[in-house]
Amino acid sequence: MEENSRLKPEEIVAYFKEEFKAKVKESRIERRVAGVNKNEYVNIWIKIDKSIFKKAVKHLCSLQFPHLAVVSGNDLGKNIELIYHFSLYYGERLGEISLNLSVEIPKSNPTIETICDIIPGALTTEREKQEMLGVKISGIPDSRRLFLPDDFPEGIYPWRKDETGPQKMVRNLNEVRK
Amino acid sequence: MAKGLSRSFKKALWVYHINSGSCNGCDIEIIAALTPRYDVERFGIKLVGSPRHADVLLITGPVTRQMEDKVKRVYEQIPDPKAVICVGNCGNTGGVFYESYNLVGPIDNIIPVDIHVVGCPPRPEAIIDAVAKAWVKLETMEEK
Amino acid sequence: MRRKTTSKTTYTLPIGPIHPAFKEPVMFEFEIDGEKIVDVDVSLGQVHRGIEWAGMQRNPIQILYLAERICGICSFSHPIAFARAVENAANIEVPERAEYLRVIHGELERIASHILWAGVAAHEIGFDSVLYLTWRMREKVLDLTEYLTGNRVTKAMITIGGVRRDITKDNIPKIRETLEYYKKNFEKLRHVFLDDKTIKLRSKNCGILTFEDALKLCAVGPTARASGVKKDVRVDQAYAAYGDLDIKHITPDILTGEINGDVYDRIVVRLLEVKQSIDLIEQCIDKMPSGDIVSEPKIPKLLSAIKKNAGEGIGRHEAPRGEVIHYVKLDGENEKPYTWKARAPTYNNILPWIPMLKGEQIADIPIVAASTDPCISCTNRVLIINKKHRKIMSREQLHRLSVEKTRRLMKTHHIIGGGTI
Repeated sequence: MEENSRLKPEEIVAYFKEEFKAKVKESRIERRVAGVNKNEYVNIWIKIDKSIFKKAVKHLCSLQFPHLAVVSGNDLGKNIELIYHFSLYYGERLGEISLNLSVEIPKSNPTIETICDIIPGALTTEREKQEMLGVKISGIPDSRRLFLPDDFPEGIYPWRKDETGPQKMVRNLNEVRK
Repeated sequence: MAKGLSRSFKKALWVYHINSGSCNGCDIEIIAALTPRYDVERFGIKLVGSPRHADVLLITGPVTRQMEDKVKRVYEQIPDPKAVICVGNCGNTGGVFYESYNLVGPIDNIIPVDIHVVGCPPRPEAIIDAVAKAWVKLETMEEK
Repeated sequence: MRRKTTSKTTYTLPIGPIHPAFKEPVMFEFEIDGEKIVDVDVSLGQVHRGIEWAGMQRNPIQILYLAERICGICSFSHPIAFARAVENAANIEVPERAEYLRVIHGELERIASHILWAGVAAHEIGFDSVLYLTWRMREKVLDLTEYLTGNRVTKAMITIGGVRRDITKDNIPKIRETLEYYKKNFEKLRHVFLDDKTIKLRSKNCGILTFEDALKLCAVGPTARASGVKKDVRVDQAYAAYGDLDIKHITPDILTGEINGDVYDRIVVRLLEVKQSIDLIEQCIDKMPSGDIVSEPKIPKLLSAIKKNAGEGIGRHEAPRGEVIHYVKLDGENEKPYTWKARAPTYNNILPWIPMLKGEQIADIPIVAASTDPCISCTNRVLIINKKHRKIMSREQLHRLSVEKTRRLMKTHHIIGGGTI
C-alpha cells in the first residue's frame, strides 16, 4: 500500500479525534529511545467507546492497511477490556508506529462486532477471545473452539478472575498420588 | 555403552517418538542424537514411523487433556516386550508447568514408565545412555 | 470454513514423521477431488498448556523461565519480548552494552533455527543426506552457544533490565572462528539448495501465497517477506541495537530478481537471512560499547521497583519465524502481572495455509506446510475429505508419497544420482 504522506503520531491522534470527537476517551503517546544512536520509537494508546469501534477500524484502514498483531484482554471486574494491537507504516526503516486501540465492554452484555470482513487475518485471535474471556463476537464466520478441548466445560473462562475462572480445573502435577 | 549388554546384539532397537505437549526442546535433542555428531544409528537404533514396529517408546511433554487417550492408544499398539523412556522434566514431574488447568499430570499417571531422563532439555548423550539402559532391560526381559 | 458435501469421505493423513520443528499437533481437514485439494480446514489446540494463566500466578523473574519453554527453538525470542514489555510498563532502563549482547544472542539463535529448518525441509522432499549435512553444520553454532551461555537449547540469558552474562575479550576469537566457518560453508549450503534441479522442480510454483493474501491475513516473518510484504520488526522499529546497525528487508528479488511467493522463495529468504545474521554479529562485535550489562543486579530491588510501578507495555521481537509480541499489565500493588498475553509468530501464519494449500496435490502437503516453518508439531492427524471413500493413512505413508513424487520427477527429468548430493 503506497503511502503519500506519513502522519506524525500527534496527527494520527488528531485524525481520530476529529472524526469521532467525544467518543475518543483517552489517548497517550509514549516515546522511547534505544541503542547508542538513541533512535526513537513510538507507541500510541487510544481508548475508544464501543459504539464507534468498527467505524474506527475502517477509519484506520483508510490511512494504510494496518498489521493486526493480536488482541489482548483484561478482566477489570465489571468490564472486560479488549486491546487491539495494530502497527502502521511498516516497510520503512525506523518508521513503524504501534497503535493500540482499547475498547471496554460490560460483563452483563459482552458482545462486540467482528472485524473479519475488513481484516480477514483477525479470525484466529477473535476465536481465542471467545473461549478465553467469554466475549461474544457477533458476525464471526467461524465460532468453534480454538485451543481448549471440546470436552472442557462451558462457562469456564481461563482468563477471567471472577467465579467463572478455571480454579476448579487446576491440577498440581507435583502432588503425590497415594 | 551400558554394562550388561551382551557382545552380540541380537536385534537392532527401533524407537518410536511421540510428543504429548512439550515445547520441542527435548524433541530437538532426540533428533540431534541421530545426526552425525552423536550418531546413534551406528548401534542400529533408528526412528520408525509406526508404533507397531517399535520396541522402545520415547515420550516427551506433560500430557494435555487432548493427548491423553492418544498416548494410551499408542502404548497399547506397541507389541511386547517394550520399554518406555520419559525424556525431560515435563514428563517426569511437570517441570515448569507444575500447575495448569489443561494438563493431566506427569506421564507416570497415564502409562508405566521404565526409565526417566532428567534435564530441561537433557543432552543427547543422556538420551543415548537411556536408550542403552532400555536395551539392557529388554534383553534381560527376553531371557526370562 | 468448510463446505458441506453430500457424500463425505475422509482420509486421515498426518503431517511429518519426526518433526521437532513442529510444536503442537495440528489437525487439518482437507476436501479433495482425486489428487487435488479443494478446501482446507485447520483445527489446533492439542498442546494448550495454560501458560498465560500460569504466568499470572508468578512473579516476572519466574515468568522468564516459563516463557523460555513456550517453544524450544525460539527460546530466546519469548523472554526478550517479555522483558521489553515489562521494561516498558515499569520504565526500567536497559544499558547500551546489554542491548548489543541481546542482538548477538538473537542472531545466533536465528542461524541455528534456519539451518534446522533447512534440514527438515530437505527431509520432507526426500534428501535425507542433506538433513544430516545441515544438522552437522548446525552443531558448530550450538557449540558456540554452549561456550557463551552454558547450554545448547534453553539459555536463560535475559533478565529484566539487561542480560545475565557478559561476553569478554577472550570469548571473541571463538566467535570469529565460528563466523568464518559459516562464511566458508555458506556457499556449499546455497549450492545444495538453490542450484539443485530436483528441489527447484518440487518447490517452484508450489504453495503460492500472493501479496494481497499475505497482507490481508497478517502473515509475518519469512512467509510474508517471500511474498513481497516488507515486514520485519528489526528494520521497522528501533529496539535493542538494531537502530544502529546496517540492516534491510530481505526479499527474494535480491537473489533471483523476481517475487513469486512459492516454496522456493521461502528457501531463498531464509538462506539470505543466515548470511545477514553473520554480518550483523560482526557489526555488533566491532561496535559494542562498554558499560554495565544490567541496570539493577539485585533481584529483590528489581522486584520491588516492578511492584511500585503501574502501567502497561508491549514488547516485540523478530524471532526466526516472525514477529513475537507480548503484552503485560502491571497494577502497581503486586509484583505478579495483572495480565500477560504472549503471541507466537505461528499464530498469525496459520490462516495463510488455506490459500497456499488449495489446488495443490496431497504429496505436496508436507513440503508446503513445512515451508512456513511452523512451531507446531503435527504428530497426529490431518483429516482429508475425499469424495470417494474413507481411508486412514499413517505418517509414514504421507512422507513416502512425498518422496515417491521426488523420485518420479527425477526420473522424468533424467536427473541421475540424486542431484548434487
